[in-house]
Parts: sequence; structure tokens; C-alpha cells
Amino acid sequence: MGIALETAVNEPAIAIAGGGAVCATGLGLASLQRAVAANTSALQRRELVVGKTSQSIVAGFVPDETVAQLRAADAAHSDSRAFLFAAAALREAAENTSDILDSIPPQRRGFVLSTTKANIEALDNLVRRQPVSAIAQRQIQPSFLATDLAEAFDCRGPVQCVSAACISGLSALLQGTALIRRGLADVVLVAGVDLISQFVLSGFNSLKSLDPEGCRPFDQSRIGLSLGEGAAAIVLVKRELLSSPAILISGGGTSNDANHLTGPSRDGSGLALAIQRALTKADFTPEQIDYVNAHGTGTPYNDAMESLALRSVFGDHVPSFSSNKGIFGHTLGTAGILETALCMTAMQNNLLPGTPRLRERDPVAPASLLATPQPAVHVKRILKMNCGFGGTNAAVILEQEQP
Amino acid sequence: MSNLVIHAASYLGPEGFGNDQTGLRAWPAVLAGNLSRGELEGLHWSLLSDSDPSRFLRMDLMCRLGFMAAELLAVNFDALSDTRRDRLGVCVESFTGSLDTDIRFAQTPRPSIFAYTLPSTVIGELCIRYRLKGPVLSLISPDAAGASVLTEAAEWLRASDAEMVLCLGIEAINRSTVNALSFPEKLSARGWHGAALLVGLAEKSPREKQFTGGALVDACRKLCSAPERAC
Repeated sequence: MGIALETAVNEPAIAIAGGGAVCATGLGLASLQRAVAANTSALQRRELVVGKTSQSIVAGFVPDETVAQLRAADAAHSDSRAFLFAAAALREAAENTSDILDSIPPQRRGFVLSTTKANIEALDNLVRRQPVSAIAQRQIQPSFLATDLAEAFDCRGPVQCVSAACISGLSALLQGTALIRRGLADVVLVAGVDLISQFVLSGFNSLKSLDPEGCRPFDQSRIGLSLGEGAAAIVLVKRELLSSPAILISGGGTSNDANHLTGPSRDGSGLALAIQRALTKADFTPEQIDYVNAHGTGTPYNDAMESLALRSVFGDHVPSFSSNKGIFGHTLGTAGILETALCMTAMQNNLLPGTPRLRERDPVAPASLLATPQPAVHVKRILKMNCGFGGTNAAVILEQEQP
Repeated sequence: MSNLVIHAASYLGPEGFGNDQTGLRAWPAVLAGNLSRGELEGLHWSLLSDSDPSRFLRMDLMCRLGFMAAELLAVNFDALSDTRRDRLGVCVESFTGSLDTDIRFAQTPRPSIFAYTLPSTVIGELCIRYRLKGPVLSLISPDAAGASVLTEAAEWLRASDAEMVLCLGIEAINRSTVNALSFPEKLSARGWHGAALLVGLAEKSPREKQFTGGALVDACRKLCSAPERAC
């Protein structure tokens, strides 16, 4: 009794054709690249209403002018910022890859959405008996947000939606590669989106995990994270559709700590397992990794755990690494895709990102932490990792071909 | 070419509960009416077993359904070696996800609820309960066809990413939660159920009793698009 499994032969290599983003730095990957190069933070202080009171927080808000611009261009979705953000990132990614997308029929275009809470601010408004459009209500459900975005971008192939806490983005990227590898699509648009909302702010307040002055990942005096919002998109294709040098997704892995629901394991073993799985999948040794883009939220436990995981995998030779959440905050379900898009630009520009807002490195963190951006001759391989609630961990390895 | 083998199947929903060994059992008469209407306040582990899992009471509805479905499999995960548990994946799929808990948290933001406002939290609960290390995947079904959890498990097994996979399909909507908010019926009308399959490549079952094909086809129907072929 059983189902016969196909044995894959000559699995195709999967490459990143392009990307797009909207986050605290504004609209477009170029704005993000400028912030990375200048090592500046786009976190801002704002007063937000939470329940019956207001709260001052430092977070990575999408700028008001960007939101206004997106609303003006799409009145039908004016109260679904989740749709507006995701569509903006997807539009940029689609424009960057139009020569490839145009050559592939819609039935062969897949779509994967990554989100933790979709258009959750509409639920906040419903509960408070505020007016909410039917579209905004519908897009509270990640499933409908996924299908609406897939339709808007004419993806009539397989549609998936990943909601796996803060590893959603990397998990969605792996799902996108799998859809192509299985022959179900020739191109997959992978998008991540999440919002700063009363709902999310109330939750992180309750866990006491926010730094009221803004996050300082891997800093000796870090006390918490900064929320972020926005969207990012990446277009995945078969390697053969791109000219050289392409950026490949060479492998990835996930794991669970089996330890605690809201806190990371203290020893980093779960994350180390995910990294090892990604290395095995990509058939690389730790020595072959040039740079690690960490999760680096700025909470005391997360960053200490990541430091241990890095030492566990890389021993005394931890590659250069950094956290970019000081630029745009922790964007939750967007994080894996936004930060992978940032890694893509790091490879294209041969510039390793720094760790904005870092004042003094925690001695627990390996000394290879990059405080400021560092030029490189050729960034060949990057390890990207994220961790999340429920003890989840994910790691993905990017490889840039030789020019 | 190798075969995906179903080791165990379980199901609980409005019609009753059971696994591939027991078949479908009816709920106690005192509860049956409420459960058939989607009123799930009375649903408790003690209905299925005398044991008292310590974490059950703090869980939200989605985790409770996933937990009960997994326990109903009657697989002794503790008897598996560390090596096998380290290669036991968990994959969950749901259409409504954590919506029920989301609505309750939006109404009254209590710290104890927040961790459960994610559809992937049930994976964390099960990994803690059975000491499983993954791989892990949490999917929201994008449409009624959905049901790709078994496909994902097959992919992990084929690629040697996992030795066995615990697959779960869960719809956790309590009618009273949704009705209290006047949440649009069409956005949440999927009924409720928890279904689990333990699948692998090896013919040797981790359970003493081998899978009884066909005894609980509904469980498979909730989880995979080709249940008759699987069962």
C-alpha cells in the first residue's frame, strides 16, 4: 500500500531573476540599497493608538508619502495596505524581470505569499466597529490575499501561502524553488508582506520584547526589537533562463527547537541544525560561506542564541555577518524575502551590509560582526537565516556565479 | 522509485473521532449537538483519554485540534530513537488558520493568547510534545482545492529531507467567535476538523499495529487530494 514517488533526475538549478521592495526606506530596492550603503537607519518614532491609550514607539514604518502614493494609484485597495505594499513590491520585481515574465504563459507562473498576519489592521478596525471595505475584510485572510495578488499579477499556475511566524519568508522561498523543481511552474513570484498594526503591537508589548528607543542588534546593551512593515518580492526562475552571472538558491533547510513557543533555545542547536541542513542540501562546507545575513532582531535571547549557533557551525572562523533590522525593523513575514533581496543586491554590488544602530558589540557575538558596510572583491556565497515563534528556524544559501 | 506509506491516520470533526484502527466513533450525546453546530467550547482532551497533557489547557482551538489529532494516531513517538525524531517532519495546512484566535486576541489582547495567533504554533506545540526537530512547514490553503500537505510530505521524503512526516489538516473555527464579530460567513465557513497522517518511506510502521487501509478514509480526504489512492 502506498503512493509511488517520482525520482527526480537532473533537478534544475533555481535562480533569482529580480526583486522589489517597499519598507521603511521607501519604495524600491534602490532606496534600500542607499540605506545599506550609508549604513543608516530608517526607524522612526511615532505615536500609535493601542486600545484606549496611545504609545510612542520607534519602528520601521513605511513613509506616509509612500502610502499616499500607493493609495492614490489604487483606490480599490486604499484600506488594504497589505495588498498595496505587496503589489508595489511585486510590480517592481515584475518590471525588473519583464523580459522573462512576458515569455512565460500565465499557466506556468506560480505564486507564493509569505505573511504572518496579512491585512490584520482590518480586523483591528472590525473589532472597533470602524468602517472596513469588503476587500480589506477579505484580505484579513492570508488565503484570499494570496489569490488576489496572484490574480493581479496574472499568475495562473500553482498558488501557495506560507504562514510560519518569522521564518515565513525563507520557507516561502523554498516552496517557490520546489514548485519549479517539481515542474509545476517555470517562474514563481514570491512575495512577503506584513503591517505594523494595533494587533501586532499589542502582542509584542505583551511579550515585553520591544526596545522603546529602537533595536540595536548584537549590541552589548540591546534590550529588544523594533517592529517593521512593508513588502518584498523575488522572482524565481530556472537557471537556464538567465544570463551569467546568475544568483542561485543553492539550498535551504528548516528545523524546530522543540523547546519553547515564544523564546529561542538557549544553545542555538535548532538554528545550527537548520544551517547544517541548508549546507548539506547545497553541498557546501561552512568554510565556503563568505557572509551570513543574521536574523538579528535585537532581543537579548535571539542574538545570543544566533551567536552560539554561528560558533557551533563555523567554530572559530565565523564569516563576516550582520543584521539589517536596524535599517527597517523586524518585518515579520516579510523579513526572509526582504533580507534575501538585500543579500541579492549585496552580491550584485559586492558590498557586505553593516549593522546600523550598533554601538558596542556584545562580546558573546563573534568578532566578525560587521558594524559598517564592507566592500568585497566577489561575494560568492551567502547564508541567510531567520528564526521565529514556535521554535522555528530556517536557513537558505545563495550562490553567485563567477562573472 | 519508492513508495510513500501511510503509517497511521486520525480524524476528529462534527461526525465523530477515531483513527484507522478504531474507525469513526460518535461524540457523547451531550456534546454531539453543539459540535455539529460548530460550538466547540466543550471539546476537551478528556473526551478521548484519561491522560492529562499538561499543555492542553493553555492551547488555543487550533492547537487543541492538532494535538488531539496527533494523539489519536496512537503512535508512541517517545519510543522512537533521537535520530528518527530528528528527521521527523511536521507539515500543517489550514484554510482559516488562526482566525478564531486572531479574533479573540483583537477583542481582548491577552499575553497568553498572542503566541497562538499564528497557524504555525501548532507545529511548535507538537515538536515540544514529541521532541521533533523538523523539517517544518505551515501552509494556508489558498482555495477549496488546497490539500497539498501530503504532496509536500512526499517531496521531503523523496528528497531525503525527512524520514517520516506528521501531516495535519486543521480547521479551527468556533461559531460563537465568528458570530460575535459578524465576520463574513464566506470568509470562515469551513466547518471544523483536525486530521492527521503519519507517512514515511519505510514499510515498517513506528506503531505496533499496521495501518488499516480504508477504515478512516475521511481523515485522508481532509488532507490529500487523492485519498482513495493513498488509502
